[in-house]
Amino acid sequence: MRRLAFAGRRLALAVPVLFGVAVLNFFLIHLAPGDPASVMAGEGGSATPEYMDMLRHKFGLDQSLPLQFWHYIVNIVQLDLGYSFRNDETVLSLILDRLWPTLLLMVTAFILSVVCGTLLGLLAGTRRNSPRDGIISVLALLASATPTFWLGLMLIVLFSIRLGWLPTSGLETIGAFNEGWAYVVDVARHLILPALSLAMFYLALYVRVMRASVVEQTRQDYVTTARAKGQSERGIVFGHILRNALLPVVTMAGVQAGNLIGGSVIVEAVFGWPGIGTLAFSALQGRDLNLLLGIFIVSACVVVVLNLMVDLAYGILDPRVEL
Amino acid sequence: MTSSSRFLLGRRSLIAGAASVGLAGTADAQSPQRGGTMVMIVQPEPATLAAYLSVAGNIAPVTTQIYEGLVTYDWSLKPAPKLAKSWEIAPDGLSITFHLQDGVTFHNGAKFTSADVQYAFMQVLKKVHPRAPVVLADLTAVDTPDPLTAVFRLSHPAPYLMMSLSGYDAPILCKSVFENVDPAANPTANKPIGTGPFKFGSWERGQYIRLDRNPNYWQNGLPYLDRIIARFIADSSTRSAALETGEAHYAAFSAVNYSDVARLKANPMLDTTSKGYEMFSGISEIELNEHRPPFDKREVRQAIAYAIDRKFIIDNIQYGFGKPATGPISSTFAASGLYTDDVLRFDVPDRIAIANKLLDDAGLKRGEGGMRFATTLEVNSFGQQWQRQAEYLKQALAVIGIDLTLRSEDTGAWLRRVYTNYDYGMSEPFFSNLSDPVIGVQRQYVTNQIRKGVDFVNNTFYSNPEVDTLFTAGAQEIDPAKRAEIYHKIQKILVTDSPVIWLTEIQYVTVFNRKLHDATTGPLGTYSAFERTWIEH
Repeated sequence: MRRLAFAGRRLALAVPVLFGVAVLNFFLIHLAPGDPASVMAGEGGSATPEYMDMLRHKFGLDQSLPLQFWHYIVNIVQLDLGYSFRNDETVLSLILDRLWPTLLLMVTAFILSVVCGTLLGLLAGTRRNSPRDGIISVLALLASATPTFWLGLMLIVLFSIRLGWLPTSGLETIGAFNEGWAYVVDVARHLILPALSLAMFYLALYVRVMRASVVEQTRQDYVTTARAKGQSERGIVFGHILRNALLPVVTMAGVQAGNLIGGSVIVEAVFGWPGIGTLAFSALQGRDLNLLLGIFIVSACVVVVLNLMVDLAYGILDPRVEL
Repeated sequence: MTSSSRFLLGRRSLIAGAASVGLAGTADAQSPQRGGTMVMIVQPEPATLAAYLSVAGNIAPVTTQIYEGLVTYDWSLKPAPKLAKSWEIAPDGLSITFHLQDGVTFHNGAKFTSADVQYAFMQVLKKVHPRAPVVLADLTAVDTPDPLTAVFRLSHPAPYLMMSLSGYDAPILCKSVFENVDPAANPTANKPIGTGPFKFGSWERGQYIRLDRNPNYWQNGLPYLDRIIARFIADSSTRSAALETGEAHYAAFSAVNYSDVARLKANPMLDTTSKGYEMFSGISEIELNEHRPPFDKREVRQAIAYAIDRKFIIDNIQYGFGKPATGPISSTFAASGLYTDDVLRFDVPDRIAIANKLLDDAGLKRGEGGMRFATTLEVNSFGQQWQRQAEYLKQALAVIGIDLTLRSEDTGAWLRRVYTNYDYGMSEPFFSNLSDPVIGVQRQYVTNQIRKGVDFVNNTFYSNPEVDTLFTAGAQEIDPAKRAEIYHKIQKILVTDSPVIWLTEIQYVTVFNRKLHDATTGPLGTYSAFERTWIEH
């Protein structure tokens, strides 16, 4: 019950946050030089002033900024994200089309990094300064220092070009028209490399956080007590240390949740993954203001929800934490 | 009756026979196979498929499969039949009569007639096409004496018009689809309906556009392919990887980095060609803002032209692709006689000494650190190659005492700065000459093209009444020899005045899978239909 109330309060607080995001982004975007009409005309390499006026009128760019802002806010309050003239489609349908691939990628990378990072960190921390710890720590250091795009390209070179095991890019095999399980398997094969690239940095971070945390918890009195009462080492690690050592990882996971969307821009570009990241990038390049604002708001929603989930998980793991 | 139809049948098989002999005579000894899917890379993803509204380079590879033009162009850059099977130009040059193909239908089943031609040109293209104010300015009416004849009426002779009627320049649209609808907001903008060999299938945003074979295509037996997929991959290294693994079969224009081309060429699965770009003729340039002294002085502009080693740019920045540009018109126009290299040449052995002397004479003495003056160079936002070229220019111009600051912005900001705010000293764009100087060259040098807020026109403020008069005369001269003479004169004057520094003629490379045959069949390359393209399977 207390948890529900907490969630409700947090969601209510999210409303002014999202409003702030909308307002701030609107003016930030208008600070950038160039407008969609100019970019569209520029892509074509030639256009007349009449043609550009026509475009600006159609996009509503001939109105004053306060008026544009007023229209925008009125639309937002009605949950209408507007229309992308560049793409000739509503912003909402563009975003919804591209949201699930990004969520799929994000959630897979998130789970991969938390689960593997925690396990490897535990393995390293429980045998401090052993060869096992050394290997895991060095690999984690390398992984956290590797730029995401480079890692992605190297994975393509190894697994797609040299070994030929996995596809280079995209969400599905185009022209194969897979259905049912064949489709799921096909998407999963396309997902492996991008998810791995996106997960790697945080995976390495979790290994290091988890290792440090495990080492610290091992020195605590309750471990000595447990050992004194004759509990097995395995029982101590999984019954006592793990749960306590997880808390810093959960904190870090909250940070990662917010950064995943940013990281997915790069990964999506490298792997031709049809998600929000590539949509945001092309919207920025084309100065598609409505679409860009829509993406910001939807990503802000995703981050708010993810953070809420992390906070709730915190409370479950450690009942002493006040919500 | 029977004998005549037998004769027709005989002639058709004769033509088919001739076609296969023709194919055997070219690269492919095999006969075309029906079926299969071709995956081409289109980069970046188009924003729209309204080819009548935008000439953005990433739209046409898709839309030219769907929309056709009245004509296409052969390797000698001459018009060849397409939706028009023949045409006559009146001796005074004031009318062109097109005889249209019979039995052509649009993808929605509507019959193609001269009314569609009239509507497409007068009600859509002339009103909303970005190049219409140049290309269609002299087109006053399209008469339709019968369903298979369309007569263009012109206010002046327009020799360039016949060079701008392909499915890329002037797509023929279905009248019933466009009638009573604002052409800028047609619901079929992103689901185009044309007469072409492929029909629009679906568009998965961020992934691909699917085109399906048109079974009712008017050229019997064509196209060979069942399907074309246009894929979008944002990262250039991944694009190369997709070609290497065979996931994609074809990548044109700059979809593959020059730096990757040599590696891909060595792959036994892949092949490359530089053909299929003869009607684009890109030239990389430096624009100089004459409103920013000392660029108002001709000596200064010439000095910059002397200071740059074009061969160095080609060998080191463009990986050997391209050739030095001699002036505003590309050497691809040698075929039509419009090009000349008999102009002031900057590639002389003592060019640095000449450049220094010109700057000394202009009163620009070397000051602190040996520099004469400082200015900015706006870096082209279209890729890494331009950043490297800018870095070279900074070094090359430092030699003659010009201190360059490089400024890199994204496309929107760069275009706004250079073509609207005129807040620049030097900029490094590239311009396409396209199919005729009237369309692709004139816009950068004539006085009435100094138009604030319009991208890729005259932003150097160069204004020379003699050049203006010559360009007007060239646009209306129908005698090829006289026309060539006019453009030779223009080249001489412009190179001497150097309002722009011409660097290199850009050479594009198409990388394709060897299983793919006849993918480059004319000078329009990827901007023409793949109706004869086939794939081994």
